[in-house]
Amino acid sequence: MGATATDPTGGRLPRRRFLAALAGFSIVSMAALVVTPIVGFLVPPRTSGGAAGGKVLVGKVADIPPGEGKVVPVGSKPTIVVNTAQGMKAYSAICTHLGCIVTYDSGSAAIVCPCHDGRFNPTTGAVESGPPPTGLTPEEVTVEGDEIFVVSA
Amino acid sequence: MTAGAPPTDATPMGGQPSGGQPADDWFERRLHWRGLMGALLHVRVPAESKTFFFGGITLFLFGVQVVTGTLLALYYKPTPAAAYDSVLFLTSDVSFGWLIRSVHHWGANLMIVFLVLHLLRVFFQAAYKFPRELTWVVGVGLLGLTMVFGFTGYLLPWDQRAYWATVVGTEIAGGVPIIGDTLLVLLRGGADVTEATLSRFFGIHVLVVPLALGMIVAVHLVFVHQQGLASPQVPDPRPPAVPTGRTKPFFPDYLLEEVIAWLFLLAILVVLASIFPAGLEEEANPLETPAHIKPEWYFLGVYELLKHVPRIVGILAPMVFVLLLLVLPFIDRNPEVRPRRRPLAIVLGILGIAVMVGLTIWGYVS
Amino acid sequence: MARRTLPRLVLAAPIAVVLLLLAAGTIAAQDPEPSLIPGPPAPTPIAHPAADGANGCADCHASLDGRQKAIVEDWRTGIHGIGGVGCADCHGGDPRSDQITVAMSEEAGFLGVPSRDQTVGVCGSCHSDAERMRPYGLPTDQYSKYWTSIHGQRLLAADDTKVAICIDCHGSHLIKKASDPTADVYPLNVPATCSRCHSDATLMEPYGIPTDQYATYEKSVHGQALITDKDIRAPSCASCHGSHSAKPPRSSEVVDVCGKCHTATQELYLESRHSELATAAPKCWTCHGTHDVAPPGERLFFHDSLPDYECTTCHQPPDMALSLDVEQFDTEADRRCDTCHHPESLIYSQVEAIAGALGGATDAQRRAEAKIAEARGLGMLVQDAEVALTEAKTGYIQGQAAVHTTKLTEVTVHTEEATSKAASAEALAQAKLDESLFRRRAMIIVVAVILANVAILFAIKRRIDRSRREQGQGAPPAT
Repeated sequence: MGATATDPTGGRLPRRRFLAALAGFSIVSMAALVVTPIVGFLVPPRTSGGAAGGKVLVGKVADIPPGEGKVVPVGSKPTIVVNTAQGMKAYSAICTHLGCIVTYDSGSAAIVCPCHDGRFNPTTGAVESGPPPTGLTPEEVTVEGDEIFVVSA
Repeated sequence: MTAGAPPTDATPMGGQPSGGQPADDWFERRLHWRGLMGALLHVRVPAESKTFFFGGITLFLFGVQVVTGTLLALYYKPTPAAAYDSVLFLTSDVSFGWLIRSVHHWGANLMIVFLVLHLLRVFFQAAYKFPRELTWVVGVGLLGLTMVFGFTGYLLPWDQRAYWATVVGTEIAGGVPIIGDTLLVLLRGGADVTEATLSRFFGIHVLVVPLALGMIVAVHLVFVHQQGLASPQVPDPRPPAVPTGRTKPFFPDYLLEEVIAWLFLLAILVVLASIFPAGLEEEANPLETPAHIKPEWYFLGVYELLKHVPRIVGILAPMVFVLLLLVLPFIDRNPEVRPRRRPLAIVLGILGIAVMVGLTIWGYVS
Repeated sequence: MARRTLPRLVLAAPIAVVLLLLAAGTIAAQDPEPSLIPGPPAPTPIAHPAADGANGCADCHASLDGRQKAIVEDWRTGIHGIGGVGCADCHGGDPRSDQITVAMSEEAGFLGVPSRDQTVGVCGSCHSDAERMRPYGLPTDQYSKYWTSIHGQRLLAADDTKVAICIDCHGSHLIKKASDPTADVYPLNVPATCSRCHSDATLMEPYGIPTDQYATYEKSVHGQALITDKDIRAPSCASCHGSHSAKPPRSSEVVDVCGKCHTATQELYLESRHSELATAAPKCWTCHGTHDVAPPGERLFFHDSLPDYECTTCHQPPDMALSLDVEQFDTEADRRCDTCHHPESLIYSQVEAIAGALGGATDAQRRAEAKIAEARGLGMLVQDAEVALTEAKTGYIQGQAAVHTTKLTEVTVHTEEATSKAASAEALAQAKLDESLFRRRAMIIVVAVILANVAILFAIKRRIDRSRREQGQGAPPAT
């Protein structure tokens, strides 16, 4: 034999039905406690905004005719989608000046922040005039058939 | 090992008449496992063993991490474009997602805490001495692997804190002499922290280290089984003989106590996860460095040290420290195990703890 | 018929004349347009022999003494030195010679140090020449603008040598481009340059001009942006007063001056009842101040306690015409709607309604913010509530701006949106709080189950221990 000390009692336990019942309850309750969250977790949730890191349907092409723009929620982030001559463009709708939500002004064909009249170029998101220090962050937008998707990044 | 001998000393598990016997026989006739199980379970351990649970707790926490980590991996997306949102999604929208993530977060922290406690317990009880030198060396390897776990996992949420702490951490790794530049590029998968880094860290965190840790823990446990648990009172005799002193059965006595400790840990994890859920800062922005970047608490000591000594000293000191830990059983020639008979070791140990704790607290408050 | 109309006409005529005079006098008294003294035409540049690369002036003066050497160095490093505008171009003389009798001779056109009003002409002789300035893209209106300014008019009217001329701001020898950040006329440096004279009490005393402008401006929103944040888009003295045409804006001009930058606000103001009244209504400065512009807020609606109403607050003697002068609103505490709109006036209820609309939106936002902070403090993720709050803030800011229209409906359109968005933000945060509470309650149950299991295992363990002792199975002998 090596250095292990074998236990000659062989782990004989006292015979108690009560012990068995208790042990059974213990095992079952612990199993339930552990398995419930795991199973709950594995069931995919029914979310409103769509999956993370995937495409989010924001509307139909008919909703945004050429020369128009619309603010839509993508997940929890407001995004402005504009139908420009160079195709569908999308940007974060949070103005880089003081965080107001921008809108689209089809009259002047510019993305405008209503708070302090900051203006952004709808094709590039760059600042055209006003107090914003930098342009709007572009988002990836794709058109499939008649549906518009924004890739939530 | 009494392989093939009639199962006389191997009693049915639990000895209950409630149907355990026939099932047990069914498996035994096919697998002949009673002998093996007997050899594994029916050993004896020192009777007084309160601090012995730390190692088992670390193992339990590793198990918790494997389970919660696997669950998280079913929703996590390891690209910079999607990582943050996937973590936000599983924390907010998936049922119990907050629980799984928070348990994983706290499990990681507690695993390191108990691993260190286990190391300290083994050190102060001189259980690394003959014949357990190899077990200690393997254990230091496990410590390294666990730190790699912590470092790689920290990046995965891809928020500002994660990103910049990784930038700083890999910069420090790049300061290692001679191999530093190569090491930095290997770690980052390039010159900067990018999606290549995230892929790399994800693969390491989810595949490489779990497998490595699992296998090396198995080796560690085999060693422990072979040698039994050391007595804190009396050093193991040379040549080896069966240790004397009060002992108790591993199964079911010690194991029962171990499981009780595990249940306490589970309760602590649930409380921590509910009251202090894992947070998420804003998404990583490589163009915007936040004001104060600090690594996670288990690296704070080294981080603080680097602020006060020349860079090369700050990088080599921890490496030397780990090296000393590794070869500790071979440089500590004193055969004594009781504290009074090994004052130098005790003093150095306390000093080491004081320095590490002090540096960590300093790093936290500064 | 003729016998009755004639006396009536005779009676009516003087009355009509008197009324007309009153009207003219009133209009004149409100915004007198003083006639400007016309400035002289730009002189021709000094005639002097061409330099052809030589610069005897500089060579000689540089070796004279420290002060002269410094002057030459200044000129050399300045834009004139770099651009080839030599000493003779401003001082006259012959730059080819190093003989003082030739170089500084009258025949060569030597002017010496020009007098202060001569200087304006010297600078203007080149700088108002369009063809000469064309390669540099420099404007040429500074000379003509200068004569319309208070500085120029004073120089013309009284030959006052203390007023600012070109060299006081631009330097004489070390002249820098206006785009050079170290130049005195670089936008960030303009307030300090103007206040060199305008903060000097002794200098300003004879003119009765106050000297606290810089000190007040420094603390204002504009001053903070320019001086502290170094934002060159912020207005300096020159932005509102003009630089070469420096003059304080008149009451009739204020809205256009502020509206140069605050375009959206100007558009809104022009929709209001206030903009229809020339002098009898508030301009930008009435509520926002001049040099001491502070961030606007809901405090601008009402005094904390009712003010003492005096006729002269709004009616100016001697004719008691309705007129609001900027001096009456010097104290910030007077810049309130109810300074003019007495609580018993018809308009007061509208003021109250507008203030109430904004106040309600502010309260809704504050409640939402508090709830969000509470949820965040419990570790919950509150991004969705924060986005809703941002939308509320957008509406609120638009509502604040709409106050300039003085139309309640314009304001409530935005404040209602702000309030409803704030309410949904609060609801989202409340959901997080409820979730957190649920988790704690669940946690207690879960921990209770775990501890129950611990107790069970303890019980099992104790029975095992007891049965071991009963069966005499202490530590068995080692095998």
